[in-house]
Amino acid sequence: MSAEAKRLDWRGLVIPVGFVVGAEFAARATGWESSMLASPSGIVAAFWTVLIDGTLLHATAATLATSLAGLAIGSIFGLLIGIPLGLSRTADRLMEFSIEAFRPIPAVALIPIALLVFGFGFRMEISIVAFAAFWPILILTRAAVAGVEPRLIQVARALGFGATARVWKIVLPAALPRIFVAFRLAAGIALIVAVTVEIAANPLGLGYNMILAQQTLRPELMLALLVWLGVVGWAFNHILLWSQKRLFGPAAMIRIER
Amino acid sequence: MALIAFEKVDLTLGGRPILAGIDVSIRKGEFLSVVGPSGCGKTSLLNLAAGLLTPSAGRITYAGKPVTGPRQDIAIVFQDYGKALLPWRTASGNIALALEAMNYPKEKRAARIAELLALIGLSRHADKFPNQLSGGMQQRLQIARCLAQDPSVLLMDEPFGALDAMTRQALQDEVLSIAARTGATVLFITHDLEEAIYLGDRVIAMRPNPGRFEISFDIDLPRPRDQLTTRERPEFLKMRRELFDVIKEVEH
Amino acid sequence: MIALPQLSRVGWLLGSVGVGLLFILLWYGIAQARLVSPVFLPSPERAWDALVYGLTEGDLGAKTLGTVERMIYGWLLASLVGIVIGAMIGVSEAARAYVEPTLEFLRPLPASAMMPVAIAILGLTDQMVLAVIAFGALWPMLLGTVHGFAAVEPRLYQVSRALGLSRFAVIWKIALPSAMPDILSGMRVGLTIALILAVVGEMLASRPGLGQAILLAARSFQSADLYAGVILLGMIGYVSSVLLGLCEGRLLRWRQSHH
Repeated sequence: MSAEAKRLDWRGLVIPVGFVVGAEFAARATGWESSMLASPSGIVAAFWTVLIDGTLLHATAATLATSLAGLAIGSIFGLLIGIPLGLSRTADRLMEFSIEAFRPIPAVALIPIALLVFGFGFRMEISIVAFAAFWPILILTRAAVAGVEPRLIQVARALGFGATARVWKIVLPAALPRIFVAFRLAAGIALIVAVTVEIAANPLGLGYNMILAQQTLRPELMLALLVWLGVVGWAFNHILLWSQKRLFGPAAMIRIER
Repeated sequence: MALIAFEKVDLTLGGRPILAGIDVSIRKGEFLSVVGPSGCGKTSLLNLAAGLLTPSAGRITYAGKPVTGPRQDIAIVFQDYGKALLPWRTASGNIALALEAMNYPKEKRAARIAELLALIGLSRHADKFPNQLSGGMQQRLQIARCLAQDPSVLLMDEPFGALDAMTRQALQDEVLSIAARTGATVLFITHDLEEAIYLGDRVIAMRPNPGRFEISFDIDLPRPRDQLTTRERPEFLKMRRELFDVIKEVEH
Repeated sequence: MIALPQLSRVGWLLGSVGVGLLFILLWYGIAQARLVSPVFLPSPERAWDALVYGLTEGDLGAKTLGTVERMIYGWLLASLVGIVIGAMIGVSEAARAYVEPTLEFLRPLPASAMMPVAIAILGLTDQMVLAVIAFGALWPMLLGTVHGFAAVEPRLYQVSRALGLSRFAVIWKIALPSAMPDILSGMRVGLTIALILAVVGEMLASRPGLGQAILLAARSFQSADLYAGVILLGMIGYVSSVLLGLCEGRLLRWRQSHH
């Protein structure tokens, strides 16, 4: 890496810092009270309050818990179906219509069904998140398994491996990096869908607290939660990126992409 | 009469000296080959002639006047033809780009494109996209686009480096015939010694760090050249030997 | 891998439709056997009847149109803004240096999370829903466009200089076509997001549309109507994806690799 790249590019900070400073200044200078927006210092204060009284951590834990649970369930089903479809062209072609028929259904459209079946609460949200996470895992796992370098499979056959051994020793390890990328993508989707469900219908977690803050005319809290949400999403993604690099980096099996 | 002249040209990029003391006159209609090991600044030499770079010292003139930027009558053929063609335009469309840039009269464009396609033998592939053409055909298409500029100078940067031997030989002869027919002046960069001698009227060998001219001699072989007989002539083999020794020595 | 008999494309298409019908049969069987309560899972014919009735005699057609309109308007608005601004940012390395970090921070924010903010500013109105849709759909388009313009093959810029193309010609003839795949891909994602946000917006703000319709159906335990609405939403997603795919196919004909 060149010396220029390592030095922090301060140009990128101009807009965010300028915005925050400007907003703070505008709020103080105009002495403007609003039920719609808040000053940066007000936001920080609100953030501190909910952090201390435990609401923030409680809500974050709830949202993350449902995201992860939904992600896990969606991933398991996605893998269980995606891997066989990747291995068998026949099965894949036969399932094409059914997959294309169900895939376009937006996960949020299932909220009323989930409400009907589960009522409010964790199970309803987890089921929607699972549905949403299932699709990218299915599609990308299928592609990863089907896209394994054919030369490797030829080599495996030449060495005399049977079908099961080929899948276990060659196909799955070769597909694993791309499956992990699919998982990272699905994780991002899981978080977004969880928050969306909370905003639209479900009274728990960060999303719900944001709507509540808006309804009780506490814009500082609402915006504080928004910023926090961004931080959580960013941290989540970067933890996964870091694991991706650790797991697959040395083998150079995958380009690091965002 | 000199068409392009380098007068005591130095080039420094990013603090590193790339070229030093470059001094050469290219005559009108001359075919000048330049060879050298990797990193000797051959490409930079070509970019300077094209007006894409400005020298740090000295000057470059075209027909006596200093070069300030790219000119429409200087055409550049790049080695990575895949990247130099527009993938979303057909073969005709790619040639048309040069005509559009020149504000060539619209009514006459189709005829000119057909003419150029016929010249390089791609008439049947006029409506194909670059990725539907083989490497040799893509390079021919790039040459056709350059010819659309009606160039008095052709700058060619290792144009056949990425092609297989047979295609390379066919294209070498095509370039020679185009140069003979149009009377264009050619600056041809290559690291293939035999190609340099086969094609050129004169050859210059460079040494690296920083790039300098090491040796230059005229090529006294009869034209038109022939892939088989010319390459077997004793003069050819002698020049090849000489160049080989020079390159081997400068590579250290 | 299993070797395939050489069936024609139509053969495979019919086969996969057949498998789809099998699933519907399964659905029918489960509903008939009352394995799941009909309140949760209505029988397929009931859902179908509700669908047909709603479209012909009920207001399902109008509601579908409402959702589609919202989705399209928001998406078009986002496309316009996204492509123009994306182009401006993408071609300038300096602009990218200033703007990209901010974009990277804003990117992971779910658009739905902006909804409470939008409600605070615009209230529970159609404008609010439209604003959120446009905002949500903007991001993939902006990012796709910026990336497309930033990733133009540098060699082509050299070729442009050598040919003496004007600045406008460079953007119109070189940068834009080169960026088209990324722009279209961003538009695709934007459309998906637009649909999702239209539904959520309708649910939250109780605006007339399919989102509101299915929520009401759930509250009054009309599962057949509910499923009918969900099927319609799936169809909107499917048709819009196919249409966009067709446009992409025509605009990006040159990407087919025959070599």
